[in-house]
Amino acid sequence: MLEYVLEKFFRVFASRLILLICASAGLANVSNAAESESFSNTAVQARLIVAENGVGPNAMSLSAGLHLNLGEGWKAYWRSPGEVGTPPSIDWTGSENVAEVNLLWPAPQRFTAFGIENFGYHDDVVLPLRITLAEPGAPVHLNANVTLLTCSIVCVPQEFTLTLALPRASGVDAAAAALISSYVKKVPDDGAESGISIQSAYFDPDMTALTLAARSEQPFDSPDVFPELGAGTAFGKPDIRLGEGSHLLWARLPVLNVETDLPDLWLTVTDGERSASLFAELTDEAPKPPFTLDRVLPGVAELAWVAAIAFLGGLILNVMPCVLPVLSIKLSSTMKMRDQGRGRIRMGFAVSALGVLAFMWTLAALTIAARGLGMTVGWGLQFQNPVFLAVMFLILAVFSANLFGAFEISVPSSLQTRLARAGRGKGYTGDFATGAFAAVLATPCSAPFLGTAVAFALAGGALDIAVIFTALGLGLAFPYLLVAAFPAAISHLPKPGRWMLWLKILLGLALVGTAGWLFWVLIGVGGVRSALAVLALSAILVTILSFNRLSAGIRLSGAAVMTALAIVSAGYLSEASTPNVTLATEWTAFDRGEIAKLVSRGEVVFVDVTADWCLTCKANKALVLDREPVLSAIRTSGVTAMQADWTRPDDSISRYLESFDRYGIPFNAVYGPGAPEGIVLPELLSSEAVLSALEKAAERSVASGD
Amino acid sequence: MIEKRRHTLGVLAALVAAYAGFRYFPDIRPTELNFDEVHNPLGFRRLSVGESSGGFDPFFGLIAPNTDILAEAEARVRADICGALYGDFLSETQLVPAASFSDYYCPFCRVQTKTLAALDARTDSNLHVNWHELPLLGQPSDIAAKAALAAKRQGAYVAFHERLMKSPFVATPEYLQALAQDIGIDHRRLVADMQGAAVVRELENSAALAKVFGFIGTPALVIGRTVIQGQVDEATILRIAEMEIEENWTSQC
Repeated sequence: MLEYVLEKFFRVFASRLILLICASAGLANVSNAAESESFSNTAVQARLIVAENGVGPNAMSLSAGLHLNLGEGWKAYWRSPGEVGTPPSIDWTGSENVAEVNLLWPAPQRFTAFGIENFGYHDDVVLPLRITLAEPGAPVHLNANVTLLTCSIVCVPQEFTLTLALPRASGVDAAAAALISSYVKKVPDDGAESGISIQSAYFDPDMTALTLAARSEQPFDSPDVFPELGAGTAFGKPDIRLGEGSHLLWARLPVLNVETDLPDLWLTVTDGERSASLFAELTDEAPKPPFTLDRVLPGVAELAWVAAIAFLGGLILNVMPCVLPVLSIKLSSTMKMRDQGRGRIRMGFAVSALGVLAFMWTLAALTIAARGLGMTVGWGLQFQNPVFLAVMFLILAVFSANLFGAFEISVPSSLQTRLARAGRGKGYTGDFATGAFAAVLATPCSAPFLGTAVAFALAGGALDIAVIFTALGLGLAFPYLLVAAFPAAISHLPKPGRWMLWLKILLGLALVGTAGWLFWVLIGVGGVRSALAVLALSAILVTILSFNRLSAGIRLSGAAVMTALAIVSAGYLSEASTPNVTLATEWTAFDRGEIAKLVSRGEVVFVDVTADWCLTCKANKALVLDREPVLSAIRTSGVTAMQADWTRPDDSISRYLESFDRYGIPFNAVYGPGAPEGIVLPELLSSEAVLSALEKAAERSVASGD
Repeated sequence: MIEKRRHTLGVLAALVAAYAGFRYFPDIRPTELNFDEVHNPLGFRRLSVGESSGGFDPFFGLIAPNTDILAEAEARVRADICGALYGDFLSETQLVPAASFSDYYCPFCRVQTKTLAALDARTDSNLHVNWHELPLLGQPSDIAAKAALAAKRQGAYVAFHERLMKSPFVATPEYLQALAQDIGIDHRRLVADMQGAAVVRELENSAALAKVFGFIGTPALVIGRTVIQGQVDEATILRIAEMEIEENWTSQC
């Protein structure tokens, strides 16, 4: 602790130096003996410098410095080097007339390499030395045995001796004095001059993070925080937020490792040229952050990259089982209208593309709004809503009945003529709806590409969300845009014939399949009663629509009534959302708290977050999890298979996913003695990935003691 | 109109893709690896990585060993360089042995040993790592290295190693006792082994190897017959391992 107290002397020290510099200006003839021979190699050039030319009459102390000129790419370390490393140290054995030497530490810089945080210096640094003489005014011999760790990509320890003899003399080495003084100014003060003070510092009971608040008289510009809590305690990279016109600094630092016996907490806050090292008294409550921000705004390059992924993801969604039928519908309707001319086709497809984008923009707007309200939004979450499911089911039922030839969907002739009169072409509304419908259907197909892009979107700001959803929409609309750009492609489609009937039936079957799946999801989300009600009402709806004898007006109003009834019953009849516990026998229900306990007993835990509406999860289950060799691997004793069912909204699961920066599923992770933090598996599982993760997690090589 | 917009969008997309390509895939074409032949011990070669290796005096760490003992150790390792580097692991041809030299207080060693441990653990990897302790950074490094080697006598080297590489620590007797307890090894035996002749001899051998290969610091690595000073990335390690198999490293051993 002594060194911290000593640092308070630094202002006295600095003013003395300034006096020396001023005095030197008046002396014309100064010798430059006030520096040692230098030690030099690729990593560092080191020398001792002294501000005075010699020991003046009655001088009680000397101002000196260890000047380190580090080679390109080389670093030396601060008194607290970070997670690992060693600070420079000087042994003065062999010196004469030296009572005491105080080494001051200029404010460090943060180096992050491969996830390891280090604090220290690069290029040029002077460690100021305040040398107290045993006998005032007598000659001094300095013998500095320096031990220093320097690292570039290789760490090379340095040990060398610098000597300097100072006879009785007066006068000042102006250059040395100026150099030392410039680094003395960089030594953190006690807050008096820098205007920095600590407001609060808080450790959570489990010592997982340090949260602190500091205040500054002048606004912070680019601050950093370096806590010190004994050599065995290390902190990760801080999350720093500024508030109150940048006068308030809030920071949260993860605790990487902690010693049992804790000394006082010291905080060094740096901000450009000023800095302060302050004792921090621990408070009982964590300071509140000035604002909440999940992630800082990403760079343009990162955004462009993720937008490109989103575009590709959107494009791939077109061949997903839940979207392909829509594209087919669109193409088959085009066959009907290929005689309508290029302009109409082009416009129709452009409008469909617009429909896709409109849905995406709606989603983006909703996401932004929901984020504004502090809600967590999950991709595919709308599939947790029974009303949404009921509407989707109705639409699919009607479409498939239409494809099976139960009725022709056509706008009533009166309305048709009105529309035809109103617009240049007819049925752009239909085109638009097709596009929007495709987009709506695409949401559950959270393909691996989407996971990344969407997680990014949800964690980012409003701009990111808008950009990513637009890119997704553009990708999904790409086939439509392609036809819009080259309508000639349409004429290469086969001529209509009997095959079209078969195609229609095939497409109808695809839609029935999708409807069946939605129905199953609806049972999971809303319960059997509401699902059956929706099914019955859909059947009535289709029957009404199929009655050709009834007038179009009656049919349409009947359809509207049934739709409304279905929505209402889906909403009202759905059972209270209790977590779905009817899991397959070998899976235990997800309990986040249990994971750590099991791991501490040396067990391996396999976590699977799934939902009825998640197709990729089903694929993972069918292709990997329910098959050998994975099946027996997660069934063996010592392995606990946990399943979290996200079919219905569940806050604990959402928070769990969020802790991995994931907002969509499938999500699988493996914990064990070898991986207490969990190994996150790719969204599309492979047997190899699962097995190697299980094996890695089971390794006892990493101690599970902490 | 729409066609025009499509074209603009196409051009924009191409620009974005090209930028992303350059920004994120700079290493599609692997860079040339340069080697310098080593004349003593003959048959090895040194990977040239930048400028950082030159300009240093021969160095044996902050705790200078007795020169006589070091000379003796040097004679010992020179008699069987491969055995000293790689231990008993010399028989297989589809695997390459690697000798890793590290210090628990050296930041880049953490990076390097993590990479190597992951490669060593991978079932599809063709690398087998033999760990050497090269405590260059003073007393705490020396204690940690001895403790790890003593833990090795109880079959807990990897656990000890990974634990020390994972967290900051001060290698005090209390810390070692707590750690021994955590890992489940006999603390008294650990302390006894730390002072034992076998551990000291192992450290001497590693120091002698470092002298023979002219290491100036840590981390250092020998893969097959390739000597690498400083931290290198996983891709380079794997490429060299591949080259060693193709070029039959066993000819050296």
